Amino acid sequence: MSAPPLPIRTDATVVVNRAEGGANRRLVLRVEDWPGFQPGQFAMLSAGARTAVPRTDPLLPRPMAVYRTRSQNGATEIEILFKVTGRGTGLLAEAQPGQRIGFVGPLGRRFELPDSNQRALLVAGGTGIASIYELAQRAQAAGRVTVLLGARSAADLMGVDDFEALGVGLEIATEDGSKGSAGLVTELLESALASGDPARVYACGPTAMMRRCAEIAAGHGAPCVVSLENRMACGFGVCLGCAAPLREAGYALVCRDGPVFDASVLDWERVP
Amino acid sequence: MASSIDLSADLGGIPLRNPVLTASGTFGYGTEFAPFLDLERLGGFVAKSLTLAPRFGNPPPRIAEAPSAMLNAISLENVGVDRFIAEKLPALPAGVTVIASIFETAIEGYAEVSKRLSSEARVAGIEINASCPHVKSGGIEFGQDPAVLSELVRAVRRATARPLLVKLSPNVTDIAEMARVCEGEGADAISLINAVQGLEVDPETRRPVLANVLGGLSGPAIRPIALRMVWQAARAVKLPICGIGGITSADDVVKFLLCGASAVQIGTANYLDPAVSGRIVDDLEAYLRRHGIARVRDLVGALEIPRS
Repeated sequence: MSAPPLPIRTDATVVVNRAEGGANRRLVLRVEDWPGFQPGQFAMLSAGARTAVPRTDPLLPRPMAVYRTRSQNGATEIEILFKVTGRGTGLLAEAQPGQRIGFVGPLGRRFELPDSNQRALLVAGGTGIASIYELAQRAQAAGRVTVLLGARSAADLMGVDDFEALGVGLEIATEDGSKGSAGLVTELLESALASGDPARVYACGPTAMMRRCAEIAAGHGAPCVVSLENRMACGFGVCLGCAAPLREAGYALVCRDGPVFDASVLDWERVP
Repeated sequence: MASSIDLSADLGGIPLRNPVLTASGTFGYGTEFAPFLDLERLGGFVAKSLTLAPRFGNPPPRIAEAPSAMLNAISLENVGVDRFIAEKLPALPAGVTVIASIFETAIEGYAEVSKRLSSEARVAGIEINASCPHVKSGGIEFGQDPAVLSELVRAVRRATARPLLVKLSPNVTDIAEMARVCEGEGADAISLINAVQGLEVDPETRRPVLANVLGGLSGPAIRPIALRMVWQAARAVKLPICGIGGITSADDVVKFLLCGASAVQIGTANYLDPAVSGRIVDDLEAYLRRHGIARVRDLVGALEIPRS
């Protein structure tokens, strides 16, 4: 694959901002001069629409996965799926069509696509689902893809219709059994790997989920990459806030060296 | 009037095309910002603080939000002075004015890092980051004890002939005293303020939000503290001052100039908008035009305090 596109800094225009079940939202932003993106990349969004006097509280932008994009009337519409978890995402949820949102992206390193003989097993929990749609779409062109989605409850799932429309293999687990099988998405991964076919595992979600995926994949001799979330102030390797502890020594930056990492390089005991 | 506006400034012997620099630790090694703005548009930039050997920083969580501010505890993470010279300096466009920032845990370390930087033509000046914990004094910041600060500035002054800036810690009782110490030891300029020491707590877990417990508070919340300290320092010394603290706009820059700063550094705002520093240069020029001021230096120390 080619080098990642250079990021842009712009004010994106809100096109759509709608509820997506539970506390989840779907935001569609219109951006001029979008350089394209690679699966797994993210963007930094200002915490709410821009105001005449710039808002300083909350101060920091929020990292959000680029879910998918499409060309529209000479510009690009960028879809972001996010969950309202606090004041910053709460203000984002209130942004109205036509309002502008500070935007820096695309940022970070991509997911590598699977080899032609490998089945791609994409495991995502909660908001981690937003990070894997583009990967599912591109990996499907290369071979067999199975997507395993997990959430606490049916209302917490995002993007299910989109994945169904893609036509990839799709299995769902919810902790309360309100959709799919009752239990954890990691249990679906365990069964999916049981066949012994060569597979590559991609995981994005809560740290405990990704760590368990890494263990399960290692137990089956399957390579596993994860996409980490972390607090970050800048998103492009400067604030050094998003340190991910490495097994060897020291730290990698989630924004610059990730968010996609080979699961084996991380010191899982200390991943926040 | 004033068809051409003079934005130039002089910071202790460092000629600047304009008074807008970017602050150490918030602008990486410069090239990270190349996709977002023309680096040569800036007055200059202060690179991430350097130690003798490469260092890892603190464990996560390293950052947290506070009202109109962020709290960080990154610690010493940097590539080390030798890699900076070999890889980072040559990667910068020729027209960028680079000030190197240094920190260490012992005075000898500061002096050695300065020595190595002083043979580099691209290093326009050296800024001492005096907010590092001094191991020999039990971990208080170098900049918190006038005697320790004095010894530090003296040692670095002996090690370099380059313009020498000292970035002062705000975590002191009397900033004027610290400014006088720098002047007495032959510094060429002072930069202030560094981050304000702070603590944030999660009431649910009953733990500090940062792994390091304490962190440095930066952003718009600290701007009035910074303005106050710049004003106090400007009245205490003749040294040029580089004002730092919560600047997000050209209006903020003007405030610092009025309080006595000859130049400023943009810090945390670079995270919120990586193009902001270039826009501030444009807006500063527009401010001067709007107010009919021909030279930006005419604003320095021009604060008008009405007599009561």
